[in-house]
Amino acid sequence: MIAALPPVVRQNGSPRAVAPLVPMGANAGGPNNIEQQYAITKESLEWMVKISSAGKIVPLNHEYIAKI
Amino acid sequence: MSLTVVKGLQSEIFVPITPAPVWTPVTKELKDMKIALATAAGVHMKSDDRFNLAGDFSFRAIPGDAPVSDMMVSHGGYDNGDVNKDINCMFPIDRLRELADEGFIGSVAPVHFGFMGGGGNQDKFTNETGPEIARQLKEEGVDAVLLTAG
Repeated sequence: MIAALPPVVRQNGSPRAVAPLVPMGANAGGPNNIEQQYAITKESLEWMVKISSAGKIVPLNHEYIAKI
Repeated sequence: MSLTVVKGLQSEIFVPITPAPVWTPVTKELKDMKIALATAAGVHMKSDDRFNLAGDFSFRAIPGDAPVSDMMVSHGGYDNGDVNKDINCMFPIDRLRELADEGFIGSVAPVHFGFMGGGGNQDKFTNETGPEIARQLKEEGVDAVLLTAG
């Protein structure tokens, strides 16, 4: 699970989650930011096989701040 | 300082019950896996019915080879500004295709799923929608699912 809101994800019992620094609406990265989306997607899959016990939420060091 | 003033004091604050995570061990390497996406962000094909923005427990299947230009979002619970510019923000299907082309993952699943996480009947989600999506994914031989919206 790519989480924008880790506390919500924790509450719902997701077995494996990563949390980039993104707002709701751009969980996988900023619009048309192919590099960021690619990195987030790839790292999410890498952590999926690395996380060894249920309930872990791994912070990812990618940030996107939406311009409202 | 004692933390209990009155013995047997109970809180009125409702503590939600966290469901136990469903844990399935990983049995294959990523490069051999067929990966699907599932999103609660309200993504669906433009040709499909829209979701009811006030709450909807239905789901939509999204073919694995569909172009993002044929997809749209109907969701009442978050600012759709970014995802309307680029569906990949919430449904990174193009990125998944790139990862498959490079051999990082085995393949992209033939079917993916979108549903609307903004309200809706939780019982139906838990007992009908979720299991049905899981059943269809298993039928297609999907090894792992990447979820977004949460």
